Amino acid sequence: MDIWLQQFINALSLGGIYAMLALGLAIVFSIARLINFAHGEIMTFGGYGIFLSMALDFPILVTLTVGIAAAVVMALMMERVAFRAMRGASIISLLITSLAVSEILKVLFQNFISPRPVPISFPSLWSGSYQIGEMTIGVAPTVSIIVTISALGGLTFFLRHTATGMSMRAAAEDFEMLRLLGVRANRIIAVSFALSGLLAGIAAVIWTAQRGSVDPMMGTFPVLKAFIATVLGGLGSLNGAVLGGFVVGILEVLAQAFLLDSLAPYRDAIVLSIVIILLLIRPDGLLPARDGTRS
Amino acid sequence: MKNTLLLTSAIAVLTATAWAEEYVIGVMSAQSGYLAPYDGPAYAGFQFCIDEMNANGGLNGTLPAKLIVKDTRSDIAVGVQVVQEMIDEGAQFVVSSADADPTIAAAQITAAGMIPTMTFAGTAPVLTQVGSHVFGSYPADNQQATVLAGFARNEGFQNVWLLKSPDSAYTLGGPEYFGEAFTKLGGTVVGESIYSLNQPDFSAIVTTIKGADNQPDLIVTWAWEPDFPAFIRALRGAGVDTQVMGGDVLDTPTVRGLGDVVDGVIHTSGGYPDEGSAYADFISRFEDATGTTPDNNYYVNGCDIAHMIEQAIDSAGSTDPAAVSAAMAEIKDGKGVMSNFTFAGTDRMPLRDVVVARINANGDKEFILRQSADPAILPQP
Repeated sequence: MDIWLQQFINALSLGGIYAMLALGLAIVFSIARLINFAHGEIMTFGGYGIFLSMALDFPILVTLTVGIAAAVVMALMMERVAFRAMRGASIISLLITSLAVSEILKVLFQNFISPRPVPISFPSLWSGSYQIGEMTIGVAPTVSIIVTISALGGLTFFLRHTATGMSMRAAAEDFEMLRLLGVRANRIIAVSFALSGLLAGIAAVIWTAQRGSVDPMMGTFPVLKAFIATVLGGLGSLNGAVLGGFVVGILEVLAQAFLLDSLAPYRDAIVLSIVIILLLIRPDGLLPARDGTRS
Repeated sequence: MKNTLLLTSAIAVLTATAWAEEYVIGVMSAQSGYLAPYDGPAYAGFQFCIDEMNANGGLNGTLPAKLIVKDTRSDIAVGVQVVQEMIDEGAQFVVSSADADPTIAAAQITAAGMIPTMTFAGTAPVLTQVGSHVFGSYPADNQQATVLAGFARNEGFQNVWLLKSPDSAYTLGGPEYFGEAFTKLGGTVVGESIYSLNQPDFSAIVTTIKGADNQPDLIVTWAWEPDFPAFIRALRGAGVDTQVMGGDVLDTPTVRGLGDVVDGVIHTSGGYPDEGSAYADFISRFEDATGTTPDNNYYVNGCDIAHMIEQAIDSAGSTDPAAVSAAMAEIKDGKGVMSNFTFAGTDRMPLRDVVVARINANGDKEFILRQSADPAILPQP
């Protein structure tokens, strides 16, 4: 029973990170119709912000703030420099643009920072653990779950109870109508990128605290999983992205923990097969967007 | 008089030809991707020593070396293409990327001309099975695993848990060789976990280890960055303080920079720069010349590859590729900077000393021992 509970905590922790990244992808897609494959590099840039702050011996709170701020700034720059000029382009053109931005940033990280991972040594408290009954629970997964729930709760509040948030939800349903009503498109899109950067920055903090290093490829793999999560949840659906993130995280952890040793090399294939089966049953995703937008 | 002039002219032409002769070495060096952290330093060390040799007349003081360096982007298909280009440009020796898979792919292309092909730092012993023209340069995984297993048994460790990934020959082979040697020495493998390269999360594996009925007193992995930092943080974060040991890939400033979580981690290494040693002298010369401190063994191993080529050509008395391959395979106790090397009697993975070292919380590396693998224990590929 303890093992199940501990694996459930692991699954929540990993699923929460995927959920935040998936939500960042979904926010931008729902408004700008852009599947931003450079989202991983926003997360990576946040990680480098943390590394730089630690190298400069900033206090931990300042370090975390710098990391998150770096991701927000990178997301806004990406929108302004690369994607604004592509406004109105086809979804394929936008997809290719985002892949190009992703590759360019990776090469810049490799050549101007380091091709090697650089260490991030969070205070030892972060790698500690505590007991609840028979269970030993890590501080990092606990912080991860609390931060994820707080971030998702805060975002829900923002989207439901602020004018900008409501504008964004409206834009996700019918962007042209919103513009006809006089809402500034540039502002809404910039805010959507800033929010996706914020979520990527928070994910970067949790990710680097758990993994202990940052490298040019750091964001690539989790964002691939997050993309799968957004498709599973329903592309364009914010709630679906969160659900998809948790489902993918839970499937991964359960497969890692309970698959027979002989099946272990097929773990990723098994997880993705389950995702395909779910999509065959619900082709528009688990919680599809209201307008049924699909890529 | 006429004959004298003709003879003088002929000697002048021959001399000029001899001076113009150069030994062309093709170098696969990934400038980006997962091999860049290993190919980059190895190439820097290799070029540094080739430059030093050329400044003194070339290989063995007489044969200038010319490098053709091409970026593979860590892509095997690109690697195959650049090796073909190097051969077209006259490469007589190919130095391949620091991993088994690209080296094996390159060796398929160099096989037709029997062009000697040596990996920068690939350590999987299977890589030389492709043909008699393929060579390792670094102490192989089975040698490292044998020395580490011997050390672990001497320290009293009895039950090991192996963490391995089938995604690469290195991450799979190292722990398996360790398990084999450890078992021969009386130890027991109590469990294994499989991970994927760049796996997002290791907490599920850690929970499995923690909940195992038969608890290990030692965990061994050949995981590299960023997987090892993620694993060790998850392990220590879950309150598991079991001793962890690993392969030479842990010998990096990134791993040493992880702080408390790597305190006491033990790993193998290709060499250690003792004070007054040739290795320490190499570091000093490299720093003076480039302003960069070689912070891992790939630099010095790159330099040693230049020495291996030089000694093979000297033994062969020729630059003919097949002759150089044959001569390389017969080198016994060749002089290296990191350590001496012997190819004779091996399957072309050189016998070299293996160092065992311990990481301290402050990021220092503490030397523990240096020895060569016991052939009686050495697992075969």
